[in-house]
Amino acid sequence: MTFRDVIQTGLGNLWRMKLRASLTLLGVIIAIAAFVSMLSAGAGMQKKINEQFDKLGLLFTIQVSPIHQEDGNDTSKVAPLNDSTMEIISKLPGVQFAYPLDDYKIVASFNDTVINTHGQALPIRALNTKAFSTMSAGKAFDSDSVKQTIVTDEFLEDFKITEPDSLIGKQLIVSIEVATFDSALVHIFMDDGKLLWNRLREIRFDSLFNAGYRSRIVQRELGAAIGRFIDGYLNSRTTVSETLTIVGVLDESREHLRIQPVILPLATAQKFSSAGFSGDMTDLIASLSSGQLFQSSGMESNKNYSRVTIDLKQGYSHKPVVDSVKAMGFRAFSYAQEFEEITKFFTYFDMGLGVIGLIALFVASLGIINTMMMSITERRREIGVLKSLGADEREIKLMFLVESALIGSIGSIFGILFGWGISRVASTVAKSFMVRQGEDPLELFALPLWLIAVAFALGLLVSLVAGYYPSSRAARIDPVEALRYE
Amino acid sequence: MQASFLKTTNLSRIYSRGPHEIRAVDDVSIEIGQGEFVGIVGSSGSGKSTLLNLLAGLDHPTLGTIDFNGIDLASLSRPKLAQYRAKNVGMIFQTFNLLPHRTALENVELALYFTPTPPKERKGRAQKALEMLNLGDRFEHKPNALSGGEQQRVAVARALVKEPDIIFADEPTGNLDKINANQIAETLKRLNSEGLTIVLVTHDEHLTSKYAHRIYRMEFGSLVNGQKAEKPIDFS
Repeated sequence: MTFRDVIQTGLGNLWRMKLRASLTLLGVIIAIAAFVSMLSAGAGMQKKINEQFDKLGLLFTIQVSPIHQEDGNDTSKVAPLNDSTMEIISKLPGVQFAYPLDDYKIVASFNDTVINTHGQALPIRALNTKAFSTMSAGKAFDSDSVKQTIVTDEFLEDFKITEPDSLIGKQLIVSIEVATFDSALVHIFMDDGKLLWNRLREIRFDSLFNAGYRSRIVQRELGAAIGRFIDGYLNSRTTVSETLTIVGVLDESREHLRIQPVILPLATAQKFSSAGFSGDMTDLIASLSSGQLFQSSGMESNKNYSRVTIDLKQGYSHKPVVDSVKAMGFRAFSYAQEFEEITKFFTYFDMGLGVIGLIALFVASLGIINTMMMSITERRREIGVLKSLGADEREIKLMFLVESALIGSIGSIFGILFGWGISRVASTVAKSFMVRQGEDPLELFALPLWLIAVAFALGLLVSLVAGYYPSSRAARIDPVEALRYE
Repeated sequence: MQASFLKTTNLSRIYSRGPHEIRAVDDVSIEIGQGEFVGIVGSSGSGKSTLLNLLAGLDHPTLGTIDFNGIDLASLSRPKLAQYRAKNVGMIFQTFNLLPHRTALENVELALYFTPTPPKERKGRAQKALEMLNLGDRFEHKPNALSGGEQQRVAVARALVKEPDIIFADEPTGNLDKINANQIAETLKRLNSEGLTIVLVTHDEHLTSKYAHRIYRMEFGSLVNGQKAEKPIDFS
């Protein structure tokens, strides 16, 4: 007996008992539909998250930040996140490159509007990664040294611009105020509009021969000069400006990267950095103590960053890099690790939903067993005839097992279609609800290939398990007894 | 008698019913030669059908041997016994035992499902077998659309289609009127005259005395007086 004979015989027998087979099929269809529709909800949500992670390129980035010493005042134990440590991080196996979060308080002038905002330097390599790949308009810089800039949706909001495309090619003047040696020095000679000459005129030169007067004058003028130097350093900033052409607008999905509204090429950032100090008192003290007050360009090598982003090489796992970075004394955050946790959650979530579907399938399997047992009782004589014609136990068993499997597979196919239908209806209802709530409609359901395969395999497996006992009983029927059966 | 190719030695089939033992076939030794028409007669419950089932490989003996061309059927596994039924044996029953949902042609074809016959050849061979029994115009008829005689002829065609070595007929005329019964008996005789071995089990002694070369009579599971041949028939 060929397998084709077995299939044809099975289909023929199911057709003969149409009503009973249909009812049994209905049980399987409902069970599989319940299984599919419930798991499609989990699959849909997981798919959404997968797409989001993939689209944003998050699986290939690691965020590194220094660990703040919260207990005790000993800051010497805090590992500094500066250029030298970033260099070490860049050389870790699996690291494509690393770049810092180097931000500036800037003044942005655009279309006669001036606002105070923040800028950030980003190397072109970083802009070419997947994390920055989607732009709502324009493109990345042509190189690290061009006078170009990229802005974010926050910039659009600040300037009340609705069309990102309208910005492309427009000029943006970016200014930064820096405290320099020059501005401090100028202040020594000029204070509140008074020239040093006017101050000198107040000195009674004839009295300078008096040691006490001379000492008082020197102390007064030296103290005033230091005060004016510091005042000039802190308050009389020098403005450094750069006119940049807007070449791109990052889309709003980049929020998670905490990117500043204006992205600057490295050369522009370098120009701003070398122009002077930020004007922060701590910078001044640090510079004085390190003896680098007048070497502002040298400051960069010791600059501590609040965050460094690592871009991983394709095919490398985040884990060893995260471990190495942690071993260096930094905090490392990997979206891939978060993603694994989310995936784990959805696995349990799907399993929970799947169990409900399995209960329905179990009930359906009882229907299959019942149908098959009745079929065997009714076809007892037929089994006897087949055995008298030469059918062996294996063939009889196969015949009934295939009938059971046909119920399972046909039921699974229609169940998958029905389940898909249910998920479509649920999706439509969910979307209209979201729209009513003023939110963007999200597709919460998905029917991935794996779910189709699992549902079909499960339906088939359950039917085979359910059909095993009846088919074994059919195979063991004594042909002599069966031929006598009325 | 022709050269023996089916032979039983001290064959017994004993059923246990609680503390009781029922000897349906008790120490039966018979021989059937190739090309013979052998009758087994006896009243109801004499064990003749049980003996037939043992010879046809449908049942396993409790004791004794069944030698078929040098192979002991009693020692064969169930799959091997199924192969014996599929290749060597054709069976005809009193109640025809046709599958009601299949046409005459499909019922006959079914016998070839368990033989190595290529699927493409099945239909042609089944048609030929039915035509041989004058049922050429009944291919697509289901059993309930056929008369008793026609149904039994379909059953004969089903037994013949696989070209067996031996045909076992268990009361083949029991459900038929006299005319149809004669037709079936004549058909069996014709097949036998073409060289096919026939074993006919019946309570109708008239039938066996008319057609069988040799007759075994059974009573209470045993051969009567150990008699092997009641009426040897000359082949000529």
